Amino acid sequence: MITFDGVTKRYPDGTVAVDSLNLDIPDGKIMVLVGPSGCGKTTTLRMINRLVEPSAGRVLLDGRDVADANPSRLRRGIGYVIQQTGLFPHRTVEDNIATVPMLTGRKKADARARARELMELVGLDPPTMARRYPHQLSGGQQQRVGVARALAADPPVLLMDEPFSAVDPIVRAALQDELIGLQARLHKTVVLVTHDVEEAIKVGDLVAVFRPGGRLAQVDSPERLLGAPADDYVRDFVGFDRGIRRLSFFRAVSLDLATDSVLPAATTLADAITVGKRAGEPWLLVVGGDRKPLGWAAVADLESGPPDATLAGADLAPVGHTFRPEADSLRAALDATLLSRTERAVGVDDGGQVLGTTSYERLRDAIRAAEEAADRAADPVGGGR
Amino acid sequence: MLRIRLAGDADMQWSWIPQNWSIIWPYTLDNLLLGLVPPLIGLVIALPVGIACVARRWLYPPVLSLSSAIYALPSLALFVVLIAYTGLGNLTVIIPLTLFSLCVLIPNVVDGLRSVSEPVRQAATAMGFTQVRRLVQVELPLAVPVVIAGLRVAVVSSISLASLGQLIGVSSLGYFFIDGLQRDFPTEIYVGLALTILLAVLCDVILVVSRALLTPWARGRRIGPSPRLAWPVAGR
Repeated sequence: MITFDGVTKRYPDGTVAVDSLNLDIPDGKIMVLVGPSGCGKTTTLRMINRLVEPSAGRVLLDGRDVADANPSRLRRGIGYVIQQTGLFPHRTVEDNIATVPMLTGRKKADARARARELMELVGLDPPTMARRYPHQLSGGQQQRVGVARALAADPPVLLMDEPFSAVDPIVRAALQDELIGLQARLHKTVVLVTHDVEEAIKVGDLVAVFRPGGRLAQVDSPERLLGAPADDYVRDFVGFDRGIRRLSFFRAVSLDLATDSVLPAATTLADAITVGKRAGEPWLLVVGGDRKPLGWAAVADLESGPPDATLAGADLAPVGHTFRPEADSLRAALDATLLSRTERAVGVDDGGQVLGTTSYERLRDAIRAAEEAADRAADPVGGGR
Repeated sequence: MLRIRLAGDADMQWSWIPQNWSIIWPYTLDNLLLGLVPPLIGLVIALPVGIACVARRWLYPPVLSLSSAIYALPSLALFVVLIAYTGLGNLTVIIPLTLFSLCVLIPNVVDGLRSVSEPVRQAATAMGFTQVRRLVQVELPLAVPVVIAGLRVAVVSSISLASLGQLIGVSSLGYFFIDGLQRDFPTEIYVGLALTILLAVLCDVILVVSRALLTPWARGRRIGPSPRLAWPVAGR
């Protein structure tokens, strides 16, 4: 647990970077500090490992004031990753990663073995990469080395300052996913600074939104931040389509999929028309013998064909987008539905077999139910804020 | 005057070299020593001075002014002044050459240390390096290419300036210039000249090779002599 207790940082010229900050960062969670430039988020981060000393207040690490610790010893127990990586140009990848173990007195061979373990952990191939120098790596690889170096001494706390801001969007997304994956295994207390609210919402268990002048605007889960921004500043900062983005946090498994409009290819046109009319569905999903989707049949078109022919011979519209209710969010289901010509998306299981189909009405009901459940969970007493 | 006389009798007499090997060799060695010792003493002084200048920013401008002023002094004048204190020995040559070396080496040590980027410095601190350890394990190794660039200039200029020492009787390849001129014997001058150049090139090659060995990480990487000069082209 990291606690900021009334922490203020005022520079000699009078600028206040951080203003009476009170913040608890729970163990084993990713806390993202987000805000525009100059809001004090980086200063806040650097006060944890004493790269910056507070002017007032205390920073506690597991109940102990960091100001009482020996700075070098304190820092060896706190991983630190920065945007520009700060890798040592004169050391190979393995020796960069082995830095802190070597500082703490481990033998060179021992530290290098540990470095190779970490390389594998962050997805770098030790035989080909261990002996390279940082300038021989791509931006994404350098950042991976930076993360491995920070983790080398297995510190309980990891500080990350704009760790993914210098790489291109595709690599950034991959690194964010890897961080989430790593965290699921390592359970570090991570404090990550970013100006990118999308990143904050994607990787954070908790997000602290800072406003200019070094004050906290809101600390909440990403889903709450989107669903219940504390004020206009947070609302503007989080962005205009937060309603849609919030859906990322609701699982599509809650969606009630239509199954009566899913028909095997062997069904006759006459039967299909009857089913379609009874269900009130203008589109029927045709599936093969393996329950994999073949395409959509329009009920209106079926009436012109011979009644005893089967759906196998009918003209089918493309399946369009599919999603997996078990793994995907309501946002993915909505997106797949919007993108489909039939205004319906196909829910499939891991094997690609059809589970059912969506419609706008079904999505609307699922979204409403999920939002109500989330609001109840966040506000159990039922009182207004 | 010199040019006219040489033109009349400019032939190189190759046989002179093996016949006089016994004097060529010691003068060459002495010259080499005078070329190497001042830059090395200079380096030993420039390292702490440069480190201090980086740690205390206000120190650097006066140090730089002083060293530029020293660099402007004619070496012969310094020899003459020093004779009164150190006599006609090696020291009278070594002291001025050391001062000249310092003028090149101090700025290079400072630039070398400053070439270490802020993120690298910050990352080192954040990982728990103490100041001394950071200096020894991170900053100085990273300054090596720029420091060696300065060392190359200092060594080459010391080797060439050492011949002036002969004017006050300090043994060096300058002997062959003076003796050749007095005896109107150009072969000696050619030999002295060729050996001076040879020494300079040899030392330079050794320094270049040692830089490559000391900084395998810098291969294929652009290293500027200083941050000011490193990126002359805008918009890389």
